[in-house]
Amino acid sequence: MSAVIDNSQPGGWLNNLWEEHRGWVVSVALFSLSLIIWKISGDETVFPENWSAAFPFSEKVDVFDAWIRPYIQPTTRAIAAGAVWLYEIMVDFLTFTQWQVVFVILVLPAFGYGGLRLGLLAIIAVSSWLVLDFWDESMETLSLMSISILLSIVIGVLMGIAASQNDRVEAVIKPILDTMQTLPAFVYLIPAFYLFGIGPPGAILATVIYALPPVVRLTNLGIRQVPAGIDEASTSFGATRIQSLIKVKLPLAMPSIKLGINQTVMMALALVVLATFIGSPGLGDIVYQGLVRLNVGKALEGGLAIVLMAVMLDRVTYAMGHNDHTSATNYDHEFRLFPQSMDNVKPILFLEYGIDWLWRQIAALGTLVTSLITAAVCKLVALYDADFSERLREVLMARSFLIASLVLIGLLLLLEAYSDLYGNFPRAWEYRFRTPVNQFMDELVTDKLFYAITTGIKETLWYGLINPLNSFLKGLPWWYTTAVFTVGAFVFSGRGLAVVTFLGFLFIGAADLWTFGMITLTTVTVSVLICFIIGVPLGILSAYNKTADAIIRPILDTMQTMPVFVYLVPVIMLFGAGQVPSVIATVIYALAPLVRCTTLGIRELPVEINEVSNSFGANLVQTLTKVKIPMAIPAIMVGINQGIMMALAMEVVTPLIGGQGLGLQVFDGMNRASIGISLEAGLGVVMLAIILDRLSQAWTRTQREAMGMV
Amino acid sequence: MSFKLKTVLAFTVLALSLGALPSAQAAKRLTAPDPDWTGGVVTCRIAEYIMENEFGYKIKTITMPSGPGVFEGVRSGDLDFACESWPSYNPAGDKYISEFGGDGSVAYLGATGIVGKSGYFVPRYVIEGDAARGIPASAPKLKSYKDLNQYGHMFRSLESGDKGNLIGCPVAAWLCEDQKRLDMLGVDFHAQALGSETAHWAEMQAKYKRGEPFIAYAWAPHWIHAALDLVEIELPPYDEAKWPATNWAQDITHFHGKTSLPAEHPQVATLLQKMNLTNDMQAGIIYEIDVKKRDLDEVVEEWMVANESVWRQWLP
Repeated sequence: MSAVIDNSQPGGWLNNLWEEHRGWVVSVALFSLSLIIWKISGDETVFPENWSAAFPFSEKVDVFDAWIRPYIQPTTRAIAAGAVWLYEIMVDFLTFTQWQVVFVILVLPAFGYGGLRLGLLAIIAVSSWLVLDFWDESMETLSLMSISILLSIVIGVLMGIAASQNDRVEAVIKPILDTMQTLPAFVYLIPAFYLFGIGPPGAILATVIYALPPVVRLTNLGIRQVPAGIDEASTSFGATRIQSLIKVKLPLAMPSIKLGINQTVMMALALVVLATFIGSPGLGDIVYQGLVRLNVGKALEGGLAIVLMAVMLDRVTYAMGHNDHTSATNYDHEFRLFPQSMDNVKPILFLEYGIDWLWRQIAALGTLVTSLITAAVCKLVALYDADFSERLREVLMARSFLIASLVLIGLLLLLEAYSDLYGNFPRAWEYRFRTPVNQFMDELVTDKLFYAITTGIKETLWYGLINPLNSFLKGLPWWYTTAVFTVGAFVFSGRGLAVVTFLGFLFIGAADLWTFGMITLTTVTVSVLICFIIGVPLGILSAYNKTADAIIRPILDTMQTMPVFVYLVPVIMLFGAGQVPSVIATVIYALAPLVRCTTLGIRELPVEINEVSNSFGANLVQTLTKVKIPMAIPAIMVGINQGIMMALAMEVVTPLIGGQGLGLQVFDGMNRASIGISLEAGLGVVMLAIILDRLSQAWTRTQREAMGMV
Repeated sequence: MSFKLKTVLAFTVLALSLGALPSAQAAKRLTAPDPDWTGGVVTCRIAEYIMENEFGYKIKTITMPSGPGVFEGVRSGDLDFACESWPSYNPAGDKYISEFGGDGSVAYLGATGIVGKSGYFVPRYVIEGDAARGIPASAPKLKSYKDLNQYGHMFRSLESGDKGNLIGCPVAAWLCEDQKRLDMLGVDFHAQALGSETAHWAEMQAKYKRGEPFIAYAWAPHWIHAALDLVEIELPPYDEAKWPATNWAQDITHFHGKTSLPAEHPQVATLLQKMNLTNDMQAGIIYEIDVKKRDLDEVVEEWMVANESVWRQWLP
């Protein structure tokens, strides 16, 4: 009623508009103002030259680098020698041992921690390396991974413990971790290569830097989350601080630490592939060669091997963190190769029962072997110390799988040493699909209709989105853009972010990177916009329809684990090179989180919402558009936030296919072996990442608060 | 306690002995980078084939982008030698190799015999047309850079707008200075840098397959000339004083390596000094690999067997 009264008063409708649609009014006003300013200022904005001249950041960094290198190189080289020594032992063992033995060694942990299903997955993964004839390369990548992850865990847990014990240490470590995670890896590939050397050592240490943050964060978090009561209890029983930490807090923090390790695995794999740029061997090399030679098939084969390795390592480390796998005594039909809905299909049921039965026989055999060995060992030990023997028996029997596995591996190794039973992997079993893939690509590229479609997409993107936004952002005066972002930061977040935003933009300008920065902003904005347009409907579809979900989910998984190089090649071949293909590649990379978050946002809404809105007579579409999507907006915003971060990360890779933004400068610095140029542009990317991340998070928070979902 | 100590000791000894195994053979192991273009890899493989089969070396190759990184690797001793370096693309070389005025921290090991030449090229059908594919000649009088402006509209692209587009040097670090060259020569074209060599060749091949006119930077010897029929556009002759408003200089490509290589591995040093691969030999091998899509090692081995009399002359 009051609205009606308001309307009758002079200026009331204006007031009303302001109250109801404040956001839109401000946006429209801001946009019009920007357009006017853009029209007036005309050409590309120029940052004052004497400002950038007074800020010789990259030169200073290069001078510092040249000065410090001789002093720290002996130390870093010694560390590198240690890493290489470990790496070579491992690679030599894996590649010189017969493949059958290595196969068993690699597959057993999957069976042990994840049961039959994970074991079969591991068998598929390891076989794929043999079948594709990438055995040596896979072993190299696996060794690099293992050593990097091991080092990350050791260093990360120690750092995490330090951070958890002292707030000041935490305050110092946190921003460093933030920077480590957003700084493009190319920036420290160069120093890693100078300091630690070409190939494995540089790759291992760069990977450690890249993969360290999750372990540190989650160790810190895990220890800090131990309830204060438990800590008090242990100290009241007379435990010292160290004792309480090691005996009580660390074990309680274990699940969190294991989660950190699991996250580290995926990050490490991504960087091990990227490290090909500093001569790292392995599967990344295969993909890189495919990229250089435009051999889509070869890149795809390498990519497949990497994806399978990633999935296997991810699942195994995940299973290690959650070892609640079913015990052998449970005799239900629990193993499923196919979805449960296919249970009534008889052959599938029999197959599953068959495998299950076989698996139980093997498990029984393993237990038998273990008990035999345990009995023998305990008899011997009992001669000296009966009490210890009893405890040993318990310990050994609890690790039935481990012992049986060790026996099996030992037997296999003995067989290898004293017989010629094993042969090489049969050539006839090898299969490569690169030729048909390449032929298919050749046909696609020359197909008239297909070319018309790709050109259409390209021109629409260029004339419709990229070119206008490009010239708009490049044309707006630098002080105006800086001011708008700073004010925005102040309104949505507060003084802290406003200062960071202001300094960040000044840095980009003073480093002579303004135009590059604006191109990056364009690419990121357009990419995320397209991700939004494609991702949200896909997410809704997958939230409503099980079949769609079953199709979309594995595709997203693959997109996220596939090394980006792999799809750069077809993108170049289909769309040429330049800013448009960069946007397309970025969309492929950054799409997954948007789809996932949308699905999650809609699924997690309470069931009652459906009922309430149905009872008001709303149909499916109405429920969706008027109720569910608005309520899922915070979740979708999380997806957008992640998408922005991924798009920024992609900036550094797209120069390979003609990307023009800040990433090109990072890349250029790498090509010229100038740490200064790389670091400067890399920091530019970091600044943009921090600003956009915090801004979108702050915006989401205000949205949530407005909806009462704190 | 003593039991634990013994276990630790035993493991240390075991680990040490394992670690000592590879280093025992280090004397005959060399590490070299694989160049990131086919021609470079071919030169490398031929030299490495001789080292492995004639001198009994084991060569470990590392794939990495060519550029200053390779020089830095050679200087620090991570790499023993590198093949087919192109002086005009590697200003970094001037810093290290004393023959080019550097500090002598990297040794010049001899010319490869490959003489490189870079320039701007158009497909033959742009000038002469291709009746068989139904492509009309889009720029029949195009011979030198002076003719480019009148055909600008034929070479337009999405991102160049109204101007003609030159598919320029893909990597800025190669210091080709395409845009500067065009501006100084008064050619009203936009130089496009595609960011990577891959993108560059892909763009050229795709345009060629569709029969579109384009002008692009390329070098010889290169497989692109075997795959596509290209004609070079004249530029003013090379002149260091006027650079970059001139053509490129001829590149006498060379091997370089760590300074201790000649003393430690005299056979290898002599081989690299005497080796003399010609452009024609390399082009034939490249054609088999990149156009016929055959396996690189297989083609090189085939060539080695067929041309024993040639490479026997390079042995010390």
